[in-house]
Amino acid sequence: MNYSMVKSLILKDWYFQRTAILLSLAGGAISLAIVAFGGQAGFTIGLVLLVTILVMISAMTVMSNVLGERENQTLPFLMSLPISYLEYTSSKILGALLIFVPFWLAILAGSLALIVAGPTIHGFFAFTVIMAVEILVSTCLLIAVALVSESKGWTISAMVAGNLGINVVGYIVAHIPGIRDGMFGTRIIWRPAATISLAIEFALIAMLLGGAFFLQSRKKDFL
Amino acid sequence: MTDLSVRFDGVCKRYQHFSLENIHLELPTGSIMGFIGANGAGKSTTIRILMGLVHQDQGSVWVLSHRMPADQAAAKLDIGFVSEDMRLYGPATLAWHMNFLRPIYPRWDQAYAEALARRFDLKLEQKIKGLSHGQRVKAALLLALARRPRLLVLDEPTTGLDPVARMEVLGELMAVLADEDRTILFSSHNTLDVEQISDQITFIDRGRIIDSDDKEAFLDRWRRLRLVLPPDGVVPRLPGVVNVGGSSRLPVLTTNRFEPAMVSACNEVGATVQAVDTMTLEEIFVANVHSRRERLTA
Repeated sequence: MNYSMVKSLILKDWYFQRTAILLSLAGGAISLAIVAFGGQAGFTIGLVLLVTILVMISAMTVMSNVLGERENQTLPFLMSLPISYLEYTSSKILGALLIFVPFWLAILAGSLALIVAGPTIHGFFAFTVIMAVEILVSTCLLIAVALVSESKGWTISAMVAGNLGINVVGYIVAHIPGIRDGMFGTRIIWRPAATISLAIEFALIAMLLGGAFFLQSRKKDFL
Repeated sequence: MTDLSVRFDGVCKRYQHFSLENIHLELPTGSIMGFIGANGAGKSTTIRILMGLVHQDQGSVWVLSHRMPADQAAAKLDIGFVSEDMRLYGPATLAWHMNFLRPIYPRWDQAYAEALARRFDLKLEQKIKGLSHGQRVKAALLLALARRPRLLVLDEPTTGLDPVARMEVLGELMAVLADEDRTILFSSHNTLDVEQISDQITFIDRGRIIDSDDKEAFLDRWRRLRLVLPPDGVVPRLPGVVNVGGSSRLPVLTTNRFEPAMVSACNEVGATVQAVDTMTLEEIFVANVHSRRERLTA
């Protein structure tokens, strides 16, 4: 694989997303501040804002960087460059994830820090980590569907499915005995159920991204 | 053996409502091939297969000694490609595009790119979305040419341009092409555009290559013979006649294998050759397409 080519393509995507990235950064920082200093109501509002920003970033990067190439008819220019499906797919997946993951990590770290530093909600630690990774799964689903289908309709469907999935997974995880027990306690508890849940989520991520590469390699028409 | 930049061997590509069948195409290095076909004839599909962007169902494709689509990344390093449906990034400037491409292409010629920008009257710091369609085509040509490609592939680059912009783009393209020796595949449904810059011509219709030859050979061998027959005369049997028009007394024969001896052959059977008309490339293309379609429906 031509790594310098992949790097050039990622930097190109970032260049066109720079304003949105900076605005999201500012929004993320404000949301974290609201969570930290907004009291009980601020904590809830801030968390909702943080999740909204995460969802917005994933939707924005996918819509603009992946679907935008076809919609704006820049795909022929891009595909005329000395790249194969492998470089194209790698650059789109990495480019989107490298925008999303730092936000995701910052927000996850901020949320965990608040849980740890807070007086009473330490038991939410495992649930928060699992749900944060579920948001990452949902983003990977979005990227994979957008790349493979190149269709706005399918991508929006994936977005809806991903968001519904977050709620369903949240409900299921909150009822797994190893996680449910002690969730509202004052101690951080990490049981095997949490590890298994995370392993399943990371396996899903690997399947989604691996599946995207596989299906891209079998595509016969790139324009 | 001729050095070939492009070779298609028995290439097929089938879609639900269109198929490209058994395409054999050879583009010798250093030649400029005009690839002519009506809208939907299969020009763009052929070119996309050439670029590795569409994978053929059957047959082999070699471009600059690279097997396509497997080696497309290596092949595209030496190809400059401009297509009618290609857009540059609207929010970026031409200078940004040049800076983006410069590290990708080892033979990128910055001085040449800047010279082309002056010749095409393009401002480097102007955003692409602020350019007219003609200027965008020129910008895309600039970006393709400054790569110093061994093969230039132009897929209907003048489509959608107004007559003034079309002549400007063609004029600039011809001036640039006169500078040096390049291998070019130029597709268009506009025969006038192709005729101006090509030395080889290939016609495609309904997914099949119907004729391919040197431009001069095309123009030499296609003729329209206007005859006057005696009252009981019959149309003489001549080689390569693809169409007989006119009236029974004043037939007009279109042949693709004209030789001066045909005139005396007509006289020998009592027909008077009133005129032997040369044909434009457009007339040749239309006659070629019609004769093939008539053969298929017969």
